[in-house]
Amino acid sequence: MSVALLAQADLQLPAVEWSAIAPELGPTAMALVLLLLAVVRTRPFAVAVPTALLGVALGGWLVSVGQAVPGAVAIGLGLVVPAAVVAFPGRQSLVQAFSAAASLVGALVLTAWQYLVVLRPGLDQLVPQEALAGAVANDGIALFTRLTVYLTALLVIPIGYGYLQDRRINRAEVEPLILLAVVGMAALGTANDLITMFVALEVLSLALYVLAGLARRDRRSQEASLKYFVLGAVASAILLYGMALTFVATGSVDIPSIGAAVGLVTTPELVGVIGLGLVTVGVGFKVSLVPFQFWTPDVYQGAPTSITGFMAAAVKAAAFAAILRLYLVAFPDLEALWVPVLAVLAAVTMLYGAFVAIVQHDLKRILAYSSITHAGYATIGVVANSDAGLSSTLWYLLTYAVGTLGAFGCVIAIERRRRGEVTLLDLRGLGRSSPALAGILALSLLSLAGIPGTGGFVGKLLVFQAGVASGFAWLVVIGVLSSVVAAFFYLRIAGTMFLEEPDPARGLPVVTTGLSFGVSVAATLVLYLGVYPQPVLEIANAAAALVR
Amino acid sequence: MGLLTITLLIPVFGALVLAMLDRDGRTPKVVALVASLATFAASLALLVPFDLGDPGLQLTDRLVWIPAIGADIALAVDGTSLALILLTTFLTPLIILASWDTITDRVRGYLAAFLLLEAAVIGVFAATDLLLFYIFFEFTLVPMYLIIGIWGGAARKAAAVKFFLYTLLGGLLMLVAILYLYGQAGGSFAYEDVLAVSLSATEQRWLFAAFLIAFAVKVPLFPVHTWLPDAHTEAPTGGSVFLAGVLLKLGTFGLLRYALPFFPEATREFAPWLLAIAVVGILYGAVVALMQADIKRLIAYSSVSHMGFVVLGTFALTTTATSASVVQMVNHGLSTGALFLLVGFLYERRHTRQIAAFGGLAKRIPVMAGLWLVVSLSSLALPGLNGFVGEFPILLGAFQVNRTAGVLAAFGAVLAALYLLWAYQRMFHGPLEGADNENTADLGAREIGVLAPLVVVIVAIGLYPKPLYDLVEPSVDRVLAEVGVEVELAEDELAVDEEDER
Repeated sequence: MSVALLAQADLQLPAVEWSAIAPELGPTAMALVLLLLAVVRTRPFAVAVPTALLGVALGGWLVSVGQAVPGAVAIGLGLVVPAAVVAFPGRQSLVQAFSAAASLVGALVLTAWQYLVVLRPGLDQLVPQEALAGAVANDGIALFTRLTVYLTALLVIPIGYGYLQDRRINRAEVEPLILLAVVGMAALGTANDLITMFVALEVLSLALYVLAGLARRDRRSQEASLKYFVLGAVASAILLYGMALTFVATGSVDIPSIGAAVGLVTTPELVGVIGLGLVTVGVGFKVSLVPFQFWTPDVYQGAPTSITGFMAAAVKAAAFAAILRLYLVAFPDLEALWVPVLAVLAAVTMLYGAFVAIVQHDLKRILAYSSITHAGYATIGVVANSDAGLSSTLWYLLTYAVGTLGAFGCVIAIERRRRGEVTLLDLRGLGRSSPALAGILALSLLSLAGIPGTGGFVGKLLVFQAGVASGFAWLVVIGVLSSVVAAFFYLRIAGTMFLEEPDPARGLPVVTTGLSFGVSVAATLVLYLGVYPQPVLEIANAAAALVR
Repeated sequence: MGLLTITLLIPVFGALVLAMLDRDGRTPKVVALVASLATFAASLALLVPFDLGDPGLQLTDRLVWIPAIGADIALAVDGTSLALILLTTFLTPLIILASWDTITDRVRGYLAAFLLLEAAVIGVFAATDLLLFYIFFEFTLVPMYLIIGIWGGAARKAAAVKFFLYTLLGGLLMLVAILYLYGQAGGSFAYEDVLAVSLSATEQRWLFAAFLIAFAVKVPLFPVHTWLPDAHTEAPTGGSVFLAGVLLKLGTFGLLRYALPFFPEATREFAPWLLAIAVVGILYGAVVALMQADIKRLIAYSSVSHMGFVVLGTFALTTTATSASVVQMVNHGLSTGALFLLVGFLYERRHTRQIAAFGGLAKRIPVMAGLWLVVSLSSLALPGLNGFVGEFPILLGAFQVNRTAGVLAAFGAVLAALYLLWAYQRMFHGPLEGADNENTADLGAREIGVLAPLVVVIVAIGLYPKPLYDLVEPSVDRVLAEVGVEVELAEDELAVDEEDER
């Protein structure tokens, strides 16, 4: 009798710690709602009203059980859809953009709530939370990655809105896909076993393959999408094979358990080593480390510019979150194997990106190569294999994301005038014809170049410091050399805007409210992170607390 | 918030006001002039609480900034930095006044760039937190890049980029060294903490080299001086004055404040080499200056030569010579600054800088000729003017430490007389020929007003240099005590005396 009861108890489903994945729920639900809205098109209230009811009911229940913040977010998200439908009658795309942005704001609010209430209830140290039977780790990496990717997506939507409209590619699936991609990115940051990690990576990749090919009539966009898809699939396959071999070697897919298993043996098995190598190739592709970078320039150039900005800023942050977790939690004891390899890859990546960017003329290609260089810098923090290195990489990715978004936002404004590729010639005299836009672009570039006073400088400072502290002075010196080379092409862009006279034959850039909002926020963040980095740095430093 | 912070913030505030004005015209110029004069007044006020007897850093302002990485906003001055701050705040209003009518394009941007530059330079001289120092040091690049690049001459763009990249490379290598020191100091950027770190000889060599590269580019020392002639020649007059007058001093100041006391063993080890490099720079700069056909390039190369004297004095490592090198930093700022102003005024009249295009101008424009002569004589270290009171003790000190270096450097002083006076002779004496020369107008009231304070100070320091020496000597002694040479030298002399007695 009692045995039967026990068996029954064992059969109960494991408890789901909703708080650990709370930020992802809002955007996921919103993606679904927006797709339904697109389906019912002519009768939006058929979707909006039930959404509101569901949101209010869920929120009310949450508030009644004492979860005021998530409750408020649920109510807010429920009400924002009908409100948007009423406010913008017949303008489906505007309703979508507003609702999607609102869900991202909600995700950011919940991320903050997690930081203050769940992970750090009045303590100095972060208390990592393991959830869903170990599949999800709600810890420092997860927290900071959420911050970066949600912020990026939130800025990309207003920046890209008018541009996508202009190119007539602002179809109903854009916002849902962006939301799904960003949820995939956040999930990648929280993934604590190899399976979850792979699924999250595929969720974000699939969404991005489609987004890259949004411009169906533009051959370059199609080329970008196909290239990204084929090469991405190959990389995913390699990564999956590496993960499988790791599982064979260690008998576990759970990342902390892999770490424990690796730590037990003195000589690593050959299978495990091959697994590690394949995993390195796979993730190297995703963050475009040389020599796995070859797809980046073409894809960045061909994809719609706002999507390129999104990919450059957010995918990098998410993929590096996975890299950090893999190397620092699963393989720290194999550092003799991967640290030298990654160090060399970082060095080659920094130099390659910087030198090749010099000879480019297309602005999107320049920024693509610059993104390759920055992947190298971020890798310095991984190679450092320390708490300081972890924090510095997370911080670096945040500063890189805001700087890159600011830059791509300005490129969009110029591209809309040109309706085609943007080269250096299009920037001539921009400092005179539209000083505000040129100023923001210059500021973003200075941040990417790492000039003091910008967030990028603090980022470089931190990764360099982590590298020096771990004995990688040679790598940091290479980083310095590549920074000087990179400064040359950033400066060339800035110089073209401010030191040359405008060409009256070329019209003014098109700046919409959304775009100016997005790039202004990005520029403000660049300055804020550079001048008073303390509050966010504190979060980055606390982020060194991981589920191990 | 202490007086030092206020001095630093006034120009920043001025730049903010300029940013809020909506159009060019007279108002921005007045705003900038008032801001820079207020900064000068504030920096003069620093002299009141400053204790001349105290060799250490004083008037400390400290504000917690980024505790997460142990960086503070920490400002303080010693005699050396105060002297250089005064030089900076003295030159800035004159530069703004000198550009009053000549800059017509994007006036607000031009003035704001100078005010920001002034603030950054004050920050470099006053920072006692290594990260803060580095930030100010690198930040000077941005406004100077714009000043050269936007308001400069024909080849301005290349010159601006060259200037930026050279200095950035040096600076970033120094950043790596700073980060290493930060780790050794247990996660602190504070000057005292880093000073307390004890380093092995090998560590000192590498770190000294990194700091040296950064500062050598700035000074500039031969052979990393090649950015200077282009930058000086292409910059607008105000830019050249600030570059020569103030920015070059960041290098020699950095050596004295950071490289010497942080790495005493490496300093003593490398001192002979640096004396040699300094002498090469002195002679090379002088010889190349002699061959220039463009008067602005001539003065640019003379800077290479004169800054070589400053480095020579610094690495002679005696109280006399090293103090004199600080005094010479101020002197060079005044006399070369004045020369660049004169060249600028002449260029506005004639739109050429070729020495061959001028001749017999003394008859036509006696005021300018007279001022030019006085400033040239100051630059070539005529006794009674300020150049002499700096250069002579440097030569004396160098002679005591290394006879060959002293003798060779003295040739540099002779060559300075040659190239400056020869240029003066070709431009201002001889027959007055050609319509251009005959129609050249003499200096106006504003221009004389700009030059007069400079000439007054040049003469004042030349006649009575004691206050300046009193200001800088204690701080120089402190640095030398950190390097630990005073003691050794005294022992050497004792040994020599004993041998003599035998």
